[in-house]
Amino acid sequence: MSEAASSVEGLLRALAPQVLGALVRRYGHFDSAEDAVQEALIVAASGWPRDGVPENPRGWLITVASRRLTDLLRGEQARRRREDTVARWVLPEQWQAPAADRPPADADDTLILLFLCCHPALSPASQIALTLRAVGGLSTAEVARAFLVPEATMTRRISRGKQRIRDSGLRFAPPTGPERADRLAAVLHVLYLIFTEGYARTAGPGLLRGDLTAEAIRLTRLVQRLLPDDPEVTGLLALMLLTDARAPARTGPNGELVPMAEQDRRRWRADQIAEGIALITAALPRGVVGPYQLQAAIAAVHDEAPDAAATDWAQITALYKVLLAISENPVVALNHAVAVAMSRGAPAGLALLAELADDARLADDPRLPAARAHLWELTGERVAAREAFRMAAARSTNLAQQRYLNARADRLAGEPPTVGGGGAG
Amino acid sequence: MKYMILLYGSQQDYDVLSGRATDRPAMSAEQVAAMHKHMETFHQALAESGELVDARGLSEPVHARRVQVRDGAPVVTDGPYPETQEVLAGYTIVECASFDRATEIASGLVDPDAPGGYVDVRPVLEGVEDLAG
Repeated sequence: MSEAASSVEGLLRALAPQVLGALVRRYGHFDSAEDAVQEALIVAASGWPRDGVPENPRGWLITVASRRLTDLLRGEQARRRREDTVARWVLPEQWQAPAADRPPADADDTLILLFLCCHPALSPASQIALTLRAVGGLSTAEVARAFLVPEATMTRRISRGKQRIRDSGLRFAPPTGPERADRLAAVLHVLYLIFTEGYARTAGPGLLRGDLTAEAIRLTRLVQRLLPDDPEVTGLLALMLLTDARAPARTGPNGELVPMAEQDRRRWRADQIAEGIALITAALPRGVVGPYQLQAAIAAVHDEAPDAAATDWAQITALYKVLLAISENPVVALNHAVAVAMSRGAPAGLALLAELADDARLADDPRLPAARAHLWELTGERVAAREAFRMAAARSTNLAQQRYLNARADRLAGEPPTVGGGGAG
Repeated sequence: MKYMILLYGSQQDYDVLSGRATDRPAMSAEQVAAMHKHMETFHQALAESGELVDARGLSEPVHARRVQVRDGAPVVTDGPYPETQEVLAGYTIVECASFDRATEIASGLVDPDAPGGYVDVRPVLEGVEDLAG
């Protein structure tokens, strides 16, 4: 991509939610407005690098998108008239709330859009897809590529989400009162899912997924700028930065996964670590400590250790214990057990992991057998460790991870290691 | 006394204005600019004479919402007008000496190039008591 095209793309992605917000505020019709903005973005993406950016790019996009929206609505209305079905809808009751309950009109449109796209009436897959398109300004093709699904599938997913929003009669306004905290949690969860989707596969064949981590960080930064006093928002941004900082060291020269203990820490991104630590340090004393802050604090402890042996496992164990107390999550319990093993010895960790063996939520998860395998290897139980590594590899759906786990199993069997080899894993 | 001068247009008139041909040819850029220029100087003169109260144009009819109440619940219809129906497209409110003066002003808002074109002038009520009169 030329320099002009890439700077135009950055500008368009930043303007996308503002333009959509302006359109929906003025004309309603979130679903058609979203399509209209996409089309305006496409026109700008091809025209601006060639002809130059207009003097008022936001106004230009609003004008073009408004015209397109008018066309879309006319087509729709003409079709309805032909079919003799008038587009009638009952004004939702919450729209008739007394004026005093109304949020301030200048509430940020980007945030409202995020709340809308992450509405609980939508499936998580639709929430993610719609967020990336309506707020992130990505095209359907780009979202489809990032999730390795056909464009037609993604188109259906997005239109289903918009249909749901239309049917729910959602008003273009931020949620208020007790509902707000839940809705914000849903937004953060969607951003977190986008991040993990990108992060989990950075080593796989879908290298483009790295874009998803960058996009998750960009959107979370946006939310953090809008809600700087919310410690969980800051915690989530810190968590993403501190985790993503290790990305350059996570894979070896042949794309194989390198576990944290063996990573070359000089390749970690120091600027991201510094920013993440500053954010989490500022957020933690602000009252209620939520799960994102705790996970960020744990990531910070890892990132601050000059080498694996110097990791403050006692601190990490303590943080996992707090996290476990507020979120009943088997993966957190698993990580806590590993931290216990590192701070108090493998047998203590194995005892905790044994308690998770019957948890149905981990039945298909490669992480439990992988953790047990590592600890059995430490205690010298080579046969059990090898079997567990094999089981973990069988459960994994990620090629790089499978190759890593199989290599560990092979090592225990005394077979020649295949890491870095050209054969199939 | 205040008078409202009402200007009408159909979706097709908006199309012609936005450069889209219907059964009439689209207006050229020069024609649109001339029309804007006319409206600007026209209202500028009214402002200078102290007769202008307000003047507004309305967006395309396709963006209209009609609200009714059925069984106690407000029901909204999107885009309630057929494309050829003439609907309110804008208005100019003047405060002037007489209905005749308001009518004179209104004549300047009729498009001379549109055969059969018209505007309406309606006296504005200042209060409910005017209704009785």
